[in-house]
Amino acid sequence: MENKDNKKVKVQVKGLVKSFGELEVLKGMDLEVADGEVVCLIGPSGSGKSTFLRCLNRLETITGGEVVVDGFDITDKGTDINKVRENIGMVFQHFNLFPHKTVLENITMAPVQLKKMTLDEAKTVGRNLLKDVGLEEKADVYPAQLSGGQKQRVAIARALAMHPDIMLFDEPTSALDPEMVGEVLNVMKQLAKNGMTMVVVTHEMGFAREVADRIIFMDGGYIVEQGEPHELLANPKEPRTINFLNQVL
Amino acid sequence: MNFIELFQQYFPSFSTALGLTLQLALASLICASIIGIIFGMFSVSKNKILNIICKIYVDIIRGTPLVVQVFIMYYGVAGAFLQPMDLNWDDFGGPFMAAVVALSLNAGAYMAEIVRGGIESVDKGQMEAARSLGLPYGKAMSKVILPQAIRTMLPSIINQFIISIKDTSLVYAIGIRELTMNSQIITANEPTSVMSIYVMAAIYYLVICTILSKVANIVERKLSYGK
Repeated sequence: MENKDNKKVKVQVKGLVKSFGELEVLKGMDLEVADGEVVCLIGPSGSGKSTFLRCLNRLETITGGEVVVDGFDITDKGTDINKVRENIGMVFQHFNLFPHKTVLENITMAPVQLKKMTLDEAKTVGRNLLKDVGLEEKADVYPAQLSGGQKQRVAIARALAMHPDIMLFDEPTSALDPEMVGEVLNVMKQLAKNGMTMVVVTHEMGFAREVADRIIFMDGGYIVEQGEPHELLANPKEPRTINFLNQVL
Repeated sequence: MNFIELFQQYFPSFSTALGLTLQLALASLICASIIGIIFGMFSVSKNKILNIICKIYVDIIRGTPLVVQVFIMYYGVAGAFLQPMDLNWDDFGGPFMAAVVALSLNAGAYMAEIVRGGIESVDKGQMEAARSLGLPYGKAMSKVILPQAIRTMLPSIINQFIISIKDTSLVYAIGIRELTMNSQIITANEPTSVMSIYVMAAIYYLVICTILSKVANIVERKLSYGK
């Protein structure tokens, strides 16, 4: 699948609707993410950003519309969602590391369980990833002994161990103490620089401006406005965007 | 006869009975654990029918006395199902097997509740993280959720094990000569030492249960990763 610039499309969302019971959280979202693109989703809380992100790997059941990720229509019941998820890494606000496993075991578990690698291969991959995120000396400790920033870097390494094509970040720095935000953003910047396709829900406007190829402003379950970061942050068109940016910038 | 002499004289008989108590306890606890995990899974699954099946099972077991369950299993099942087919419990291992089935079903229901509580105590982000890596539900459960749940469950499981060991005493009602029935039979021969005989039985139970809770403490400490 290719878009008009002949770039491979990694994520294609058409008319995505998501309801929780009576409450409609996403009211028809359309989005295309190209290979290697970094898209940041911003917007007030309750705007549906996280829900949207979680629809991309079907952590939320999708009420209506079409979501094609990596060429797989994940709204189709026949699609093996587990296979698709292997190629979609996800990083959560609260890290969600497995507390009963060491750092290295956190990273090796999925590749080994899903028979992508032998344990030895996975350990090598894991140690290299830990080196990339600056935590190689923490391989054998348990998550409880890490700081928030360290946990999040391990969580990123864990997701990367599956060699995903796409990475989803759900407010990865929101639960961190301010002094730890930088170390996590640096890892994400490096990842972006290496060409990873990324969809990031964030409140870090500095990061969005510097790293994103595109910023999407969501409110009330819609995409209100989107555009190139400097342009959007400097000259927002829509009143709601202006209002929001005035509050956060 | 003093207590020590009584102990020595009836040691062989108590040993046999203790063996039977331990066999009953072990067999039913193994089965109960399996039942508990299966029904615990049922009750946390998204399938409404499985939820209801589990709830009915647990409610029935919780709302009826164990002795009645034992009678239903031994006499009731024999009369209602086995006899019409020209069978009786002796074709399936006798009262011992009936007792194991009844004890397993009883403890299994409580274990199911413990398993459900344990699973629900694990942060739901754990399941999401596991699933987002591509692990299927079953693998996420067995590799991520259950190992964490077990730590929360362990004190309750040990408690249930201890209750179940003591509950084996109730199967004396269908004529199994475990510790309790054994002491009752002995008191018939030792009418002047009734107190000593029953205290002796109590001590046997106390020793087993104490050993079990000591082992549990060690396991619990082993499971506290990195904290």
